[in-house]
Amino acid sequence: MSKRQILGALTILFVLGLVFGLAQLFAEAYLTRVLITIAIYAILSVSLSVSNGFTGVFSIGHVAFMALGAYTAGILTLPLQVKATTMQDLPRFLGTIQIGFLPATLAAGLVPAIVALLVGAAILRLSGHYIAVATLGLLVITSEVLQNAEALTRGARTFTGVLPLTNLGWVFFWAVITLYVAWRLKRSHFGRQMLASRDDLAAAQAQGINILRTRLLAFVVSAFFTGVAGSLYAHFVLAFSSRTFYLPITFEVISMLVVGGMGSVSGAFLGAVALGSLKEVMRLLEPGFAIGPIHVPPVYGLAQIVIATLFILVMIFRPKGVLGDREIDPLFWMRWLKRQDDGARLKSQM
Amino acid sequence: MSSLETLLQQLFNALTIGSLYAEAAIGLAMIFSILNMVNFAHGDILMLGVYSIVFGVASGLPFWGAAILGVVFAALAGVLMERVAYRPLRGAPDVALLLTSFAVTVLVENGIIMFVSPNPQPFPVPAMLNKYVSIGNLRLPAIDIGVIASTFVLLAVFTLLVKRTRIGIAMRASSSDSVGAHLCGIDINRVVVFAFALGSAMAGFAGIGWAGRLGIVEPFMGLEPVLKGFVACIFGGFGSLPGAVLGAYMLGGMEVMFTAFLPTEYALYRNAYIFVVLILVLLLRPSGLLGTTAKEKL
Amino acid sequence: MRKSLLLVSVILVLALLATSCGGQKATTSIKIGGVLELTGGLASLGNGVANGAKIAVAELNAKGGILGKTVELVVRDCKTDPVVAGTAATELIEVSKVKAMIGLVDSDLALAVGPVCQKNGIPYMSSGATSPKLPGQIGNTFFMSAFGDNTQAAAAAEYAYKELGARTAYVLWEKGIEYTTVLAKYFEQRWKELAGPDSVLLNDFYLQGDPKVSGQITKLRSLTKQPDVLFIASEPDDCGVVVKQFRDAGLNQPIFGGDAYDTPLLTQVATGVSDVYYTAPSLLAENAGSEMGQKFYKEYVKTYGHAPESAFPALGYDSIMALAKAMEDAGSTDGAKVIAALEKFKNVSAVAGNLTFGPNLNDHTPMKQVAIIRTVKGQLELAAMYAPEKVPAP
Repeated sequence: MSKRQILGALTILFVLGLVFGLAQLFAEAYLTRVLITIAIYAILSVSLSVSNGFTGVFSIGHVAFMALGAYTAGILTLPLQVKATTMQDLPRFLGTIQIGFLPATLAAGLVPAIVALLVGAAILRLSGHYIAVATLGLLVITSEVLQNAEALTRGARTFTGVLPLTNLGWVFFWAVITLYVAWRLKRSHFGRQMLASRDDLAAAQAQGINILRTRLLAFVVSAFFTGVAGSLYAHFVLAFSSRTFYLPITFEVISMLVVGGMGSVSGAFLGAVALGSLKEVMRLLEPGFAIGPIHVPPVYGLAQIVIATLFILVMIFRPKGVLGDREIDPLFWMRWLKRQDDGARLKSQM
Repeated sequence: MSSLETLLQQLFNALTIGSLYAEAAIGLAMIFSILNMVNFAHGDILMLGVYSIVFGVASGLPFWGAAILGVVFAALAGVLMERVAYRPLRGAPDVALLLTSFAVTVLVENGIIMFVSPNPQPFPVPAMLNKYVSIGNLRLPAIDIGVIASTFVLLAVFTLLVKRTRIGIAMRASSSDSVGAHLCGIDINRVVVFAFALGSAMAGFAGIGWAGRLGIVEPFMGLEPVLKGFVACIFGGFGSLPGAVLGAYMLGGMEVMFTAFLPTEYALYRNAYIFVVLILVLLLRPSGLLGTTAKEKL
Repeated sequence: MRKSLLLVSVILVLALLATSCGGQKATTSIKIGGVLELTGGLASLGNGVANGAKIAVAELNAKGGILGKTVELVVRDCKTDPVVAGTAATELIEVSKVKAMIGLVDSDLALAVGPVCQKNGIPYMSSGATSPKLPGQIGNTFFMSAFGDNTQAAAAAEYAYKELGARTAYVLWEKGIEYTTVLAKYFEQRWKELAGPDSVLLNDFYLQGDPKVSGQITKLRSLTKQPDVLFIASEPDDCGVVVKQFRDAGLNQPIFGGDAYDTPLLTQVATGVSDVYYTAPSLLAENAGSEMGQKFYKEYVKTYGHAPESAFPALGYDSIMALAKAMEDAGSTDGAKVIAALEKFKNVSAVAGNLTFGPNLNDHTPMKQVAIIRTVKGQLELAAMYAPEKVPAP
């Protein structure tokens, strides 16, 4: 990495660290929850940008990986007494172990990654709409399997008793790693191949790029981090079932990616921050509020409507998202300073 | 009931369910063949049509009058949707249209919850459809017979429309070569509006059968029709209307047969089996069983 | 454009900080919070609870409030999303400073809010959850206003066996939802205890939201021996149409369902149906049932223009009233004292059946008699008030 890139990375690390650090010190439970929520969605959004944005492959059923990650990590960290009372049918080796958050989250990433490898090898050969449908099928199949594998997942009953292990520190850690991996991937050799295969499939193939391998790599990496986000989610919400991971969450994550910029890591991240904050602000306004003498009555559902409308507007005016493929240069402040500096120097010379 | 009778009864059930899916799929396939987009909001158009029937009957209209109102209203809703949300996106990547239709469903569903009611309402099935026909041990509900019959009639009407009328020919021309069609003087916008209107009217009509079977109307009732219609179109091949219908009957058939003839523990995974079959079909015949659109395969 | 996205994000985050730290001016009202499903897939449940609760609050305030202060119900929509539910609960407790919480029917959502209340010592009365495991899973701040699924399933099994003389059963349940899955399991467990291990002739399911059960009905009809009673665990939306399909197919045995059948949709969709039994907290009607129930029914019609859509409005009303009484009994809004007062409830009258709690966690599920309601040609009547002899463990 060049000196400039290192400086840029450090700037981002600093800014994020500042935000999380301040939150850790001063924020109360409510703001902490909102911050954690936004961060988890940001991880989902950035990992989705790796598979969908870079390669143009639209995986609608990606949340299946989140579900797999959530259940994997949830089962692994569940305390033994809870396992004994609520999940007596677990296979012996799962029923007698309880591991820590980090290894469980790694496992939560690996399981979906393996599934993605197997499934991807089959379906990533298809094109456009058909991959979208096949991934939707993956979501349905995963949901069905999770619902029926009662011994492992308690079936349709709520999976509960999960330890509240997610906190600002862990979320910060995983967010930074996801951002870093996505960013490096995009700037790497593979990243350029992915973008090429998205923009002009025939030309890319003519160049000798192995499309399947490129797509598969993106898919697997993306599945890994989506699974990690699933683990963080599980230890945050503390209770879930297979229907938690279905269409509503899918739409939320997709909108963040689409609004922010499908091919952009910073876009995906900022899309999550912007939409996540917007959703929460709207939610606070929903019960009605007063501006001076004007009293606005409650409008439940305002948040969903505003976000859906925003989505449609972005699609009409900027169909590749606000940022498209470009990234925000973290060192833009340096350029601004330099321009001020140059201006001052020029003036003094005149 | 003898095994023969059981088999016949289950076949009848499969035909009914297949017909419901076919009615949902035809409109979806029509819109896809012109615009190359999957309108996920198709199910919500169905829902809007059905809600207007409920309103119509509540305002004193006889059922069949309200049903006509419902079909017309659905067509209008579809045309409005196209004008506001999809036309500005003409030319955008296919995925953009699909995603936008997702957003439209969120708007419509929340709109109904806010402005009508979040609670389900009973659907006023007319007395004539509430009866059933008995043949030996077989029980054939009148509404099921109606659904099957209407599907065949509709398919016949559609085929005529698409093959014989000017606008139908224009539609087929635009779907196979939109530039060429334009050069021949076909007004693409008019064709698109017509396709949407017809496809959405179809959804409104399908709603009668669906709501009749459900007995109620509720804001999220559109999800299942559009998912089933979607899967049916994939099976049959997206560009093809007969394909969508064939896919629908296959889907209905598989569902009923899996439920009927597998022991409960295996039948639990019914949807999973169906999607595995779906993926296999996609791998072996990427354009679906009757599909004609050329799709690349790596 | 790039920088404007960044700028917009920053502005939104600041707006968020501002609105949340806006702070609540000190008021002399007692706030009770309600995290409810007002939009999203379960919207039909939460809106009913909100309606019932609002009637209760209006009644309380008309009589001078609780402990002399006005009662304020602070409602938040959880959008049928557990993350939003947890965040809304935290917001209500931390920012709005509510003293108690009501709401939520679905276990997934109740389990997202429960731990937040437990951590802060806020008493939480759920308005409609029937899973008897919940108090054990959440903690001592959690109470239920509805009876447990094990109780109602046992009542159904015993009533069918003893009063209807049934000896064989068919069980159909809606797959994909905890409530129906668990209800059917409890029924089968109690039934087999009464009628023997082979007394369930067929156990079948149908998918959530897909009530076309013609395949399942055909499977049942093809059995050589037909069962005496049909136990069908459905949700409120489906129960009418499922029952109708069974009757239309010529199956006239008594049908038994759970408290989800307590909705006008049952008789509106399955018009004129007879011999359908279901368990419910009570019979809510204009001219039948308890005096309190009739009063609530009339007030509801007057305020909202239609009959209560299900049992949930009554449970919403009861949740508020129970909390109010506990606060009055305890003479304070302090969490621990209110919980202690609730645990002393013995036969406290409520619209949806009298409430009795106890100090053990399992006794935070109220011991209630179960009303067995029967339809006769589309009209509802109270068949019995029944207390099951033996209830399967949660």
